[in-house]
Amino acid sequence: MAKTAIAIIGATGNMGSAIAKSLAKGPYRLLLFAHDKAKLESVKQDITKATPSADIDCVGCPMDASWEADVIISAVPYAAEKDVVEKIRNVATQKVVVSIANPLNETYDGLVTEPGTSAAEELQKLLPSSKVVKAFNTTYAADFAQPVINGQQVDAFIAGNDEDAVDVVKGLVTTAGFNAIVAGDLSKSRTLEAMQALLIQLTIKNNYNWLAGFKILHN
Amino acid sequence: MFELLFTKFDEKVQLTEEEKELAKTFFLPKKLRKRQYLLQEGDISKYVAFVEKGTLRSYTVDERGVEHIIQFAFEGWWIGDMYSFITNEPSTYNIDALEDCELLLLSQQAEEQMFEKIPKMERFFRILVQNSLIATQRRLVGSLSQTAEERYNDLVASCPTIPQRVPQHMMASFLGITPETLSRIRKQASLKK
Repeated sequence: MAKTAIAIIGATGNMGSAIAKSLAKGPYRLLLFAHDKAKLESVKQDITKATPSADIDCVGCPMDASWEADVIISAVPYAAEKDVVEKIRNVATQKVVVSIANPLNETYDGLVTEPGTSAAEELQKLLPSSKVVKAFNTTYAADFAQPVINGQQVDAFIAGNDEDAVDVVKGLVTTAGFNAIVAGDLSKSRTLEAMQALLIQLTIKNNYNWLAGFKILHN
Repeated sequence: MFELLFTKFDEKVQLTEEEKELAKTFFLPKKLRKRQYLLQEGDISKYVAFVEKGTLRSYTVDERGVEHIIQFAFEGWWIGDMYSFITNEPSTYNIDALEDCELLLLSQQAEEQMFEKIPKMERFFRILVQNSLIATQRRLVGSLSQTAEERYNDLVASCPTIPQRVPQHMMASFLGITPETLSRIRKQASLKK
């Protein structure tokens, strides 16, 4: 199969580097971008050491990384997303764009988005010709190294309006080792982002040590 | 990024500036590096590709592992597996980049949406498919009835820079002859000049 190329914008962050590391095991070509070039190079070297077969390149600007990609993962904080969008807009049309952001406020006790919308839906508004899919927002960075916690495979939720795009992202989530659950259309992101806000609050309160996740129990 | 595509559009249909801006939103801009695949045998061809920059080829591989080149695509050309694109059946072709490429990809869904929003585009693609059918028929008749030299001359006429851009063994594969035969034809052609 022709390789799917994935751009990870913000690949030196906790989430960006964790996603890159776990997707490197799959049949993908990874295009990493981050402002700190030295740090980015060391992320690349770490990944190559852990997965010698990884097809991975550091790219000098977010536009070039996204231009070469089939899928773009926006792994920057919600507040920085608008800036990224301006740089990649012209090369992101018709592509799958993954929104991982949780739009938390500074004190982590609420969301900065208005009720009736979500970070993912705001990203879709900024990129109307792209196929925005919500994913990887209910999983902590540490979960990627350990997607099975206490014997339970962590659930990872996906929301999107385009069926093919959701399928592509489902493949990424599965490659990362999570149990992929399609929650519904993009508006379900509101629930998914609120869920993670709750998990973050509980993690701080109960000292989950940033290794926690959701699991739906069912028969 | 869209310069060449719009030049091609302008040759056949008159689009307003607004329609051009709208048309851009249906294409997926994609860079492909030399030797990377756009399509591999067994994949479903989700896109047809317009070449803004670079060269690609489509080919099949027979049971003995020999490659047979079906088509080259240079700047301003289209390439894809129409059968797989239309039927959603797995492709029997491979398409890869012979040079670094800048492509504009169009999915079936995006194509339909574009026709709905910009009906003039349907005319453009009708003419494109007509021309493609004619080219395919010519290639078929050529391979049945023309000499290798005539086929070589037709290929060079379709893209005069092809001998500089495509390795000789690939041109030979396209023409269905051995590289040695091609070498002989080229030598004779240069003597005639």
